[in-house]
Amino acid sequence: MADRPKVGIVGVAIRPCIPDDGRHSLEEHLHLVMHATLADAGLATDDLEGIVVGANDQYDGRAITVMMASGPLGGVDRDILSTPSAGEHAFVLGALRIASGQFRTQLVAAWSPTEASSIPEAQRLANDPLFHRRLPLDELAAAALQANAMEHAAPGCAALAERVLATMRGNGARAFPSLVQADVARGRPTRWPLRADMVPPPVTGVVALMLASEEFIAERGISPVAWISGMGWATEPAFLGDRDLATAPALAAAASQAYGEAGVIDAGTAFDVAEITDVTPYQALLALEGLGLAARADWPARLGEFGPEGRMPVNLSGGVASLNPVYCTGLIRIAEVANQLRGRAEGHQKQGARRGLAHAASGPAMQYQTVIVLEAGERRAAA
Amino acid sequence: MELLKRQEDWKITYTHALGETASWFYVQIRDHAKIYGKRDARSGRVLVPPRAFSDQTLEPTTDWVEVGPGGVIEAFTIVYDKFNNLPDPPYAFGYVMLDGADTALGGFFKGVELANGEEASKRLAIGTRVVTRFAEKRTGDVLDFWFEPAAS
Amino acid sequence: MTGRVGIIGIGQSNFQPRRNDASYPDLVREAVVIAMRDAGLDFDDIQAVVYSLSPDAMVGIGNAERLGVDAVGGRNKRFLRINTGGATGISSVITAWTHVASGACDVVLTAGADKVGECGDSQTVLNKIWDPIYERSLPLGTINMLAMSAVRYAHKYGMTQEDMARVVAKNRRHASKNPHAHLRKETTIEEVMASRMVSWPVKLFDCCPQSSGGCAMVLASERYIKQRGLEAVWITGLAHSSETYYLGDRMGRGFTADHADAHALGASFRKSFRMSGIKDARKEVHVAELYAPFSNTEFHSIEAAGLADIGTSPAMLREGAFALGTNAGAVVNPSGGVLCTNAIAVTAMVRIAEAALQVWGRAGERQVKGARVGIASGNGGDHQFFGTMVVEA
Repeated sequence: MADRPKVGIVGVAIRPCIPDDGRHSLEEHLHLVMHATLADAGLATDDLEGIVVGANDQYDGRAITVMMASGPLGGVDRDILSTPSAGEHAFVLGALRIASGQFRTQLVAAWSPTEASSIPEAQRLANDPLFHRRLPLDELAAAALQANAMEHAAPGCAALAERVLATMRGNGARAFPSLVQADVARGRPTRWPLRADMVPPPVTGVVALMLASEEFIAERGISPVAWISGMGWATEPAFLGDRDLATAPALAAAASQAYGEAGVIDAGTAFDVAEITDVTPYQALLALEGLGLAARADWPARLGEFGPEGRMPVNLSGGVASLNPVYCTGLIRIAEVANQLRGRAEGHQKQGARRGLAHAASGPAMQYQTVIVLEAGERRAAA
Repeated sequence: MELLKRQEDWKITYTHALGETASWFYVQIRDHAKIYGKRDARSGRVLVPPRAFSDQTLEPTTDWVEVGPGGVIEAFTIVYDKFNNLPDPPYAFGYVMLDGADTALGGFFKGVELANGEEASKRLAIGTRVVTRFAEKRTGDVLDFWFEPAAS
Repeated sequence: MTGRVGIIGIGQSNFQPRRNDASYPDLVREAVVIAMRDAGLDFDDIQAVVYSLSPDAMVGIGNAERLGVDAVGGRNKRFLRINTGGATGISSVITAWTHVASGACDVVLTAGADKVGECGDSQTVLNKIWDPIYERSLPLGTINMLAMSAVRYAHKYGMTQEDMARVVAKNRRHASKNPHAHLRKETTIEEVMASRMVSWPVKLFDCCPQSSGGCAMVLASERYIKQRGLEAVWITGLAHSSETYYLGDRMGRGFTADHADAHALGASFRKSFRMSGIKDARKEVHVAELYAPFSNTEFHSIEAAGLADIGTSPAMLREGAFALGTNAGAVVNPSGGVLCTNAIAVTAMVRIAEAALQVWGRAGERQVKGARVGIASGNGGDHQFFGTMVVEA
């Protein structure tokens, strides 16, 4: 909408792989990341007007886990909400809260601990007890069903998936050399056609972003800023049997919303850099199509454009294929693009990136799809 | 028509990291039967149980302060109903501000006859002085200690 | 912001102890269908859905909002879920308001349901809301937690158990006039006092029931409402505020929030009143639907809403205030309130629905005559998260 007040990302802290050395509780990790985000924005805790978190009870092992998160993130005497549907939904709501005029700033955060005895087991609790609970259906199994559906619909996907995986791992090794290896030996099949080496093991992660209104940013002279110019989010239905897993209609709907707002006509040429949620390389391919970056017929010819030296690099961070803090991978994609546009992507910076695309997906076989278009702000010399 | 039901149970366990602050607190309880709080430097308040930071000032806490074993009751209740996975009733528990602390620590109350709620509630009234008692065998938990009304 | 945001459709179940005839998504659908019919819209008109669901474990399905997508007609639409515990319902309506007020959407549906009766022991689930490091080893549950609030409130202000029972008698009388309420049988102070002690000083009749049912509301922009010639009541004020997670920090020395009172609820109401231009709630508010799952907590909620000075509401209730038919100020919980109906995921949404029906003049036998300004609240977590709203005709 044209009359929506502009919202910018002014602070980012990404912790995609926190060592499980026991030195800090989850609550303490969140507190440290809150301070790091404010420091990145050059702001103080008094500047914090509200908070939205994407928090999942089953991963955290706490009912209403936002209760734990409120104190460390500054929730006391403030307005804090939680969107357990997805970490990235916290970003959407945080931006809407500023656009509504009710707030000038919002802290947005998501995290993913590895304290559960089994994350697949935690995921299986999401199966309804009527029809699906007794099936061995965790999110990796749903992703495998999706991969098979894609190979059936577009034969040759499996080979393309290998190319995508190699590119992502290469990116990951450059971005996080101490954490990610470019070449991982082919592992055993885990859920056919997915191999154990295709999806990295869950790690502990925390991510937070500070959002602010245009007015607040101008008043404080904050720079650099990544401006939100388009947002879209949409959902698929719950039952996998009701979906064509080889397509992503909700992603098309979300992209259409975001591009409409941002005035993007041809997504294929609109962006300098993109981050997509690629729990499997097959999902990466589906995202390229759903986002309007490359139709499936063009995948073999065009994958090169999305490599690190290509016209529009995808996942310079290495993506989920490199580091997999399960529940916050979507919000991390948005944070990575924001850092690219703010010139703060460090070792994996794409020079001169002005317009970026972030894609987040959550839930079984990418049920929830979110698309965010970000643009670099004018750089002002420090006063 | 026949309406069916199905019983489902969530079987999943979690291993939560306590972090340095809570770990030190519980080791003192387990090994030395002593309770410590941590001071919020900005407000000066001693937080018991200790937190690494204050959710009020959003600043890190600083020095350790030994508190108790005496204190006063700040809140209590006496439970007469049976709940799954909780002790057999009746039992009393609540919160005590230990001497030297500014916040209250949760724990069971023992040493009070609970059959008559009216009588028991007078013995546990807010402001009542209590002392902390420690179990012989301690595991590093808030159940390693409890509170009893101080001899008057 | 571009104009006001209105409520154009309301749907709620007739809440029951159990609903063996309906699955969880069936219950959501039940409320959505009523709300959509009330709004006179088709699902194609809905641009976004805000899904209202508190702890997953209460319905026994992780991320159960996924299962509700079809029940709310959410396929390929904007969809997200809110959880702030017991405040979820009001937080969801506030989030739906945010979707419209931001200019992102013109028409938004918010909906949810709960089947608390199917949860083997809700207090076992609710024990898991406490921090596993310090507080979960204690036998904490929501009843015990708010019983301790009663002990502190009684200590500070002299509330008696008869005062608590008087709240129950009033609300059950109100609920007897509300076809949606779960507990609709009137009771007396004597019966409440004779009910068994659960957690001192809270007795069985001082406690809310475990209810099953759904609630849904449709919100729209003023522009859309005028263009379509729809009827509406208006959301004129809203806010949230929060307290510390740790019960023991709401007592002792130097605290800001006392566990006896509802500090952050008061802060949230003051923000809502400022937004809606209410200067003196006692003079300007006609009806209040306040989230109070235990009789004692209605008192500090009334005071936080500015309808009584701190510590004085028990005496005012003794004088006949807050009851249907009173001539002295706002009626509190004419629906019977949470004490008579608690389907946790939507309980706080029902508070807004009921306040909206009142200022709309559509509250049937429980109608507060001439109500034009209504307020609603929701409490979540361990008395930690508070949401408030003002609705006006």
